[in-house]
Amino acid sequence: MTGRSPSPVGPASAGPTGGATITAPPRRPQPARPSPPRNRRGPGAERLAPFVLLAPAVLIIVVLRLWPLLLGVNFSFTGDGDRNGMWVGLANYLTLLDDPLFRTALRNVGLLVLLLPVAVAIPGLLATFIYLKVPGNRFYRAVYFFPAVLSPVIVGAIFNLLLAYDGPLNAALGAVGLGPVDWLGDPDVAIFAVVGVHIWATFGMALVVFLAGFSTLDPSLLDAAKVDGATLPQTIRHVIIPSLSRTIQFVFVTTMIGMLTSMFGLLFVMTGGGPEGSTYLPEYYIWVQQGQFNQPALASAASTALFLIMLVVGLAQIAVLRRAGKEE
Amino acid sequence: MSGTRLAKWVVAVPMAALALATIYPLVFTTNVAMKTRREYILDRFSLSDSLHWDNIVKAWTSVGMSRYFLNSVIVVACSVALLLLLGSMAGFALARLRFRGSSTLFLGILAALFVPFQVIMVPLARIMGDTGLIDTYPGLVLAYVAQFLPFTIFLMTSFYSTVPPEIVDAARIDGNTVYGVYWRIMLPMGTPALLSVGVLNALFCWNDVLISLLMMPSSENRTLMVGVTSLRGQYSDDIPTFASGVLIAAVPVLLVYLFLQRQIADGVTAGATKG
Repeated sequence: MTGRSPSPVGPASAGPTGGATITAPPRRPQPARPSPPRNRRGPGAERLAPFVLLAPAVLIIVVLRLWPLLLGVNFSFTGDGDRNGMWVGLANYLTLLDDPLFRTALRNVGLLVLLLPVAVAIPGLLATFIYLKVPGNRFYRAVYFFPAVLSPVIVGAIFNLLLAYDGPLNAALGAVGLGPVDWLGDPDVAIFAVVGVHIWATFGMALVVFLAGFSTLDPSLLDAAKVDGATLPQTIRHVIIPSLSRTIQFVFVTTMIGMLTSMFGLLFVMTGGGPEGSTYLPEYYIWVQQGQFNQPALASAASTALFLIMLVVGLAQIAVLRRAGKEE
Repeated sequence: MSGTRLAKWVVAVPMAALALATIYPLVFTTNVAMKTRREYILDRFSLSDSLHWDNIVKAWTSVGMSRYFLNSVIVVACSVALLLLLGSMAGFALARLRFRGSSTLFLGILAALFVPFQVIMVPLARIMGDTGLIDTYPGLVLAYVAQFLPFTIFLMTSFYSTVPPEIVDAARIDGNTVYGVYWRIMLPMGTPALLSVGVLNALFCWNDVLISLLMMPSSENRTLMVGVTSLRGQYSDDIPTFASGVLIAAVPVLLVYLFLQRQIADGVTAGATKG
């Protein structure tokens, strides 16, 4: 109120007060009448203001994100090379399904979905311990989070040194009497090595998200569990998981999206898709078809397939987790 | 009670082991970077007998790392400045101005958030090629802005939603135009949010390799992370210099983490609690 009184519009708001009603009406039109020509420019420009403020952002998003999405879907039905721009129907998609590399990429997506609970459970458990104030919890929080800020390229380069055949990890295994493993050279092992490194590099991100979820948790629930003599696993199962179902859902979806879209740097530096194409993921396949083999239409088909996979996986997760949340 | 205390210590052991596993790779790389080639070949684990800064100098000067570093600084600075300006403008409009279609627009921007770069990269490269923006600073900056703008708008909108509407009303009554409210009130008030979002965007852009690989094909336009990927080929027989190059690229990020850890965490979690 006090902030309003010195302003020129003040009298209008003074209207309802009993004694002022007589003096107010003649006053009101006075400032209103001369102002229309002025105000017209004012409110006119003012009415446009939201659109002026939003225009550059919307323009960039539409032209450089949504338009390319449509363009890409359309593109995936055309041919490459000699048949450039010609409508080929589903030919690119059939080529994809025939391509062993793309099939490996899909198989690896399946593997990621299977490993997803591990990638969520590790940060979830660690966040629980940190929340329950394990000695040194602040230190752990800071340390665990730091790899999450490193570029996948840097992480990949560092692990190229660590996972080398004569590197530290094999030396450590040798010390306890286990044979050396060809982490990045064995087709059966390499994808697990890369996913492991990805989890190493990103669990801190999920951890911080879990901790933010914990900060919304009602502490009296935990006290009640303690009074009832619940063990730690019981507390986690009956108090923490139901209370954090939203956060868990968020972490599941973002972790899956992260696995499908942010391992490019690791793959590029650590394996280049090898050995024998065993570490291909759809995103790497798209890059190779576009960048190396100059097959943009085929790459677009793979892009569209990736988008569909993400949509299906995301929606399925939300459905499953929502139902799980209701049952609790 | 003593049982819980014991349980806490039991989980503390694996936690400490994991903390070691988190720190050790960087310690190892730093140690390797300080060794001579000979020392590395003879024993890669022992501490270097003295600090050999010449590896760092060699990595910095010989494969254009300094040039790539400069490219990254220019592109990241421009991208973040543009992201913060456009993101705060749009966020303010969506959170605090009433107009038709505002919720539809917000949903559209949210939808754009879920379009991964891999899905649009092929057509985007073509669009950039057709407009002559490929292999230029503005082209890469635009690509980054397009990539991270939905996220920026989302966070700025949720931040401005927490600003009491009375503040906007009071500023309007004091005779400010909408633009005046944005520039004089909302922008300064948003400093903590801008810092969080800005740091996070800076990390995203600095750490990116895929977008810059696609948008900057020529070797002198490489950004630092793309430069790192080419180091391995150059120094496959000189691991200490390779490790030095990796450190050069990692140090700015580690410094930012050291000083702005809280802001980074705030940015990461801002979307999470809203679900």
